[in-house]
This record gives sequence, C-alpha cells and structure tokens, in this order.
Amino acid sequence: METKNSALTRRRLIASAAAVPLLATPAIAQNSLKGTKLTVLVGQFYVPETNAMLDQLAVDVARDTGMEIRIERLAGDELGTKTAAVVGSGRGADLSIGVEFDTLLYAPKLADVTDLAEEIGKNYGGWMQVAKDACMVGGRWKSLCLGQAPAAWNYRVDQFAAAGINAFPDTFDELLKAAKLLHAKNTPIGMTLGHASGDGRSTNYPVLWAFGGKEFEADGKTVALDSPQTLAAVEWYAEVYKYFIPGTTAWLDPDNNQAFLGGKCSATVNVNTIYLAARAASGTNPAMKNIAENMNHGLWPRGPAGRFASYNINTWLPFASSQNRPGQMAFLRAWFDKSFLVKWTKTGQSYFIPTFEGMDSLDVWPEDPKLKIFKDLNKLNRLEGFAGPPSPAAAEAVSKYILVDMFAKACTGQLKPAEAVKWAAREYEQIVKKRAG
Amino acid sequence: MLSRIVDNERTLGLLLVAPVVLLLAGLVAYPLSVAVYSALTDQTLAESGRFIGFGNFVNVWDDQIYRQSLRNTLVFTVGSVTLKLCFGLGLALLLNEAFPFRRLVRAAILLPWIVPTVLGTMAWLWMFTPNFSVINYVLAQTGISKTGLPWLTDPDLAMFSVIIVNTWRGTPFLAISVLAGLQAIPLELYDAAAIDGAGKLHRFRYVTLPLVMPVLLTTLVLSTIWTFSDFGIVYGLTKGGPMNATHVLATLSYGTALSAGNTGEGAAISLTMLPILLPLIIWQLRRVRRSVVA
Repeated sequence: METKNSALTRRRLIASAAAVPLLATPAIAQNSLKGTKLTVLVGQFYVPETNAMLDQLAVDVARDTGMEIRIERLAGDELGTKTAAVVGSGRGADLSIGVEFDTLLYAPKLADVTDLAEEIGKNYGGWMQVAKDACMVGGRWKSLCLGQAPAAWNYRVDQFAAAGINAFPDTFDELLKAAKLLHAKNTPIGMTLGHASGDGRSTNYPVLWAFGGKEFEADGKTVALDSPQTLAAVEWYAEVYKYFIPGTTAWLDPDNNQAFLGGKCSATVNVNTIYLAARAASGTNPAMKNIAENMNHGLWPRGPAGRFASYNINTWLPFASSQNRPGQMAFLRAWFDKSFLVKWTKTGQSYFIPTFEGMDSLDVWPEDPKLKIFKDLNKLNRLEGFAGPPSPAAAEAVSKYILVDMFAKACTGQLKPAEAVKWAAREYEQIVKKRAG
Repeated sequence: MLSRIVDNERTLGLLLVAPVVLLLAGLVAYPLSVAVYSALTDQTLAESGRFIGFGNFVNVWDDQIYRQSLRNTLVFTVGSVTLKLCFGLGLALLLNEAFPFRRLVRAAILLPWIVPTVLGTMAWLWMFTPNFSVINYVLAQTGISKTGLPWLTDPDLAMFSVIIVNTWRGTPFLAISVLAGLQAIPLELYDAAAIDGAGKLHRFRYVTLPLVMPVLLTTLVLSTIWTFSDFGIVYGLTKGGPMNATHVLATLSYGTALSAGNTGEGAAISLTMLPILLPLIIWQLRRVRRSVVA
C-alpha cells in the first residue's frame, strides 16, 4: 500500500520541513505553531466520510503543530460568498476552498505557493494541465488544486436496451438517434439548460468543444464564438432538444439528479452522485436498488473535434492576508501527504479526484465496476475560455450563463440557431470590449 | 458644565440627534458612499481599481442582459405590488370583520412574512419544480391538465411564478398594515354614512378608502422599494433563468460582483436602481415630514 511504504508521511513531512531548503515557509518543528490559529473555510463534500476525514486531519495537524484549527463548513453558495468577503476585507479565514476561476479573480490577495506546489507535484508525477490552468497566475502558483469532480453520462442500461441501444453512443449523431428512440419509448434523456452553476457548465461547454467551437482565440482576447463549428453545435442541440424530457431549461443543479432518480429520465450528465445516492439507498428502497443495478456511466460522445468534458474544480486558496503562513503551509502539506490524500480520494469514490499525472498508479480508484470509467474521465477536463487561457472574461461569461442561454434560446425557438450564436458572440464581444477599455 | 449643556437648547438638540446621525452615517451613508465610489472605478474583489468615471454605467447600459434585467425588474415590481395591493386590501377588509378565531387567523396570516425567504422559496420551488411539481400533480389528478404547466420553464410563466411567490410573501405585511389603519377609523363615521343612506360600496369609497389612504400609500411605497430590490426569491427559484427571463437587477448585480468579481460594475448595476426609486423615496419622506409637522 502507498500509505505504508511511502517515505514521506504527513507527520514526517511536517516535522522535517526544516530540511527542505526550497520551502516557501520557515521550518515547522513539532509544536512550533503553538499559540497560533488557523481558520479554514470548506464546503460540504458529497461523501460524508470525506468530510469527517477532513475534520480528523485538522485535529491531527493541530496536535502535531500545536496550533488551533477551526474548520468552518458552509453550505452551497455561502462558501463562495464568504470567500469573497475574506478577499475583500482581508479578515475571517486563512484558507478556503475555491472553484474554477477563483484563483484568477483573487490572485493579488492570495499567497504565492509555487515552491510548495512544485514539491507536492513531484510526489505525484506532476500536476495535470487543468490544475496549472486553474491555479497558476503569471507563472506562479497562487493556489493548489484540490481536485475535480468528473461529470459522466449517467444512463439507464435497461431503458437503452429496450429502445434497441446496446452501448452508450460514441458520437453525437448516435446520441441524437438514441434520444429519438428513447423518446419514442417514453424514456427521454435530458441535459441541463437552466442557470445551474455546476451542471450548466459541465453539460454545455463539452458540446461546443466537441463540434470544434471555441469562445476565444488562443490570445484569450479575440472572441471566436461566431463560427460554423459553433453553429453546428447549436443546431445539433436544437434538434436533440425535441426529444428531451420537458423542463430542462429550468433545471438547476439538483433537477437532473431528481429526474433520473425519479425514473423520469433515461440519461443525463452528472457527477457520480446519482449512482452513489441510488447505491446507498439500495438496501432499503427497491426503486433505488433497481436504478443502481440498471444504470451505468458513459464517456462524452466524440464530436468532429474530439471528446471533451468540463468539470467542477476545487482549489485550496491560501489568503495572503493570513497572519499564520506557517500554519497554512502545514495544513496544505498534511492535505497533500500521500498518507492522507490517497485514502481520502479512495473514500470519495471518484467524486473528487486530485489532478496529478500520477494518479493512475495510486490506490485511489473505487472497486465498483460502475465507477471504473472515472479514471478515464479524469483525463478529459478543460477549463472554460478555450482556446485561450482562463481569463476574467471567460469567468464573466460563465457567471452570465451566456453559453447555456445560447443553446437554450435556440432549443426553445426563442432565436434561430444562427441568431442565438450571434447573440452570444455579441455578449462575449461586449465583455471583452469593456475589459479592454 | 453638564447643566450648561442641558440648558443650551441648540447644544442639547445636537447631542440628542447625534446618536441617530452616527447610526445613519455608519449604516447608510458609509455603505452608500463606498458603493458610489466602487461604481466609478474598475474595482474587482481583489484589486482596488482606478477611477473610470461613468464607464461602468455605460458598459451596463450596452449590455442586453442588463436591459432585459431592468425590464424584468419593472415587470416583477409592478406585477407583485399590484397583486399585493389587491390581496392585501381585500385581506385587511376581511380580517376587520368579526368571525370566530379572528385573532388566531390574524396571527397566522403573518406566517409567510415571518418565515425566512429562503425557506419559503424552497417550499415554492418544490411546488413549481419542473418534473415533480406538486401543483402539476394536483392538476393532473383532478383532470384539469394532463401535463400541468411549465411554471419555471416557460419564460412568461417563470416571471409569473416569481411574482406569485413575492405576492405570497409580501401580502401579509400590506394586509396587517392596512388593518391597523382600518381599526383606527372611528365607527361613528360609518354610522353617520349609513344614516345618510350610504351602502357598503359607498361607505368603502367615501369613508374607508380616504381614511386608510395614508397607511396604504406608505405601505405601497415600502413594498415597491423592497420588491424592486428583491434578491432571494428569484435567486432561489430560477437563478435568473430560463434564458434570463427572470433575471432582476439584484441577481444580476450579485452575479457580476461576486461570481465574476467585478465589484465596480456590480455596484453600478445596484445604483441604477436609485434614480428609479429616488422619486418614491423623496415623495415618501416629504409625506412623513408633512404629517409630523401637521
């Protein structure tokens, strides 16, 4: 086991920090942080055991270092709002869990953790590109990637088989054909087209990319949305929408889970929480048992430009305003120590997967065959703003749901596909123009 | 020394007013000044930004989503306040009548106003939710509609839905306020009107309405201001969707300032509510001042 053989355990790492000359922080000896405090803002991970493990880690680090650690657990949007308040005021916390663009937006108020990031990266075979995209600003690491939550196609194998489909579609043409067949059997599919902060992105950006569409050119400033490729993506969406379950333009994040678990929807894009919920309830609920037994996960279909995905990313944000820099570093080292992270990842059942190149060789993958695909999904992620680097303009477009609404306007007939593309491109142009001004 | 201060009317007056002035300065003037300053800069959450004059206001006006949100805000406010006026006035008149358990009913009627916005909105979301709407279930079971209505899916119905929830939440405040006004009307006036041959409608038109009007207007102004800046109901039900059909200035400002990090522009969006609400506020303040002087 990694944890037993690893030469670098959490406790040893903290205690021997002084021996590492490249570290960004002063040496941390046992109990040397006595009298200091560390407040950590976290959200609610879906798998309850992983929350308990985080709490236990805080207890262990507090015992090792002597510092007092307070874990503040916040629900949903509250975490983002509190994080923004800490960034604005410079008070209230030392560390927080952030999302995709937070590092970019808050960079001036975040501590430089480049040395620590490089040290950790070496232990795991290097960071994946998506981690660098999410955590590096101006060539420096301003946060550390906690992990990503891969979104797969969740589908009902039995309902697909009843419609004459024996494998999850590998291309968008096949998915369209499948949607027609499933609709005819009164077991429609559904993709989130509402203002859902998580599923809105993970469902819609991959369609654009698969057809070769992109928001920006590589410079990140030239809007490239109005293209034949984007139009093809929108036209495909408008066609497949005819065979959707009703209501998808109003779907918020929980709605596709509910529709699938309620037996109203035969396929949707989601992280593995649908399956985990069904599996957990299998012992007491026959309907959930039926769903857990008859569902599986599929990769995104391949489009003309390839196969892509967009996932929720979480990062550890170290606030520069913190008066306890050694404490921040001690906690982050403990988190990324293999003795903790490997076990935490495996317990999480691939809900959140750390973004390291060397993940494949670690004992982090669930035994359940229906979750095997997440190992492959973990390699597909791409950040919004493609083909440019992550940018404030791309973040603003996400916050305004421009791409989601582009598809939704075409699907509902509010605009023709070409008009919807032009509408969205104008919104992007406006964002870029004002930022250039 | 103390007696000299107390004896000096001007000094004493200033001293007595000072706590309120300080409170207003801290809780109203300071945040407003910060918002105005932010709106005139390209400030982000992480950077203080530079002065750009009215650049943010020009940018938001150029944005089709802003203009749509402004229209939505007006529709949302006019729709909600009109319904709240009708239901609130009607409810107040009913509650003013004698019936069993009147006090209990009066207390219960306040529940939507007392319940936290988020909690109430979650309950409505459960009733409107696209695929498991309990209202649609009832419509289907009673044979009224086979599939139910797309409450949050259809752009017009989604706006209607958020208006309904705001009306549900705001009606008790209006009703109880008007009820207080109704109870202050001397019964002799109704008796005199009845002797003069006035029917129910005439008594309402010529006695009730004029006398309850001051309370009604004050309540309506407050309700308009609160509805115009409402955030929780729209955010909880639709997050501004579908396709921005229910996006209001408050939700747009939140997204711009906190999700996209543009605090300057977010503040500018919020401040564009001010010119619309200011005439109402000034009118209301003048009315209050007149009534105090009188």
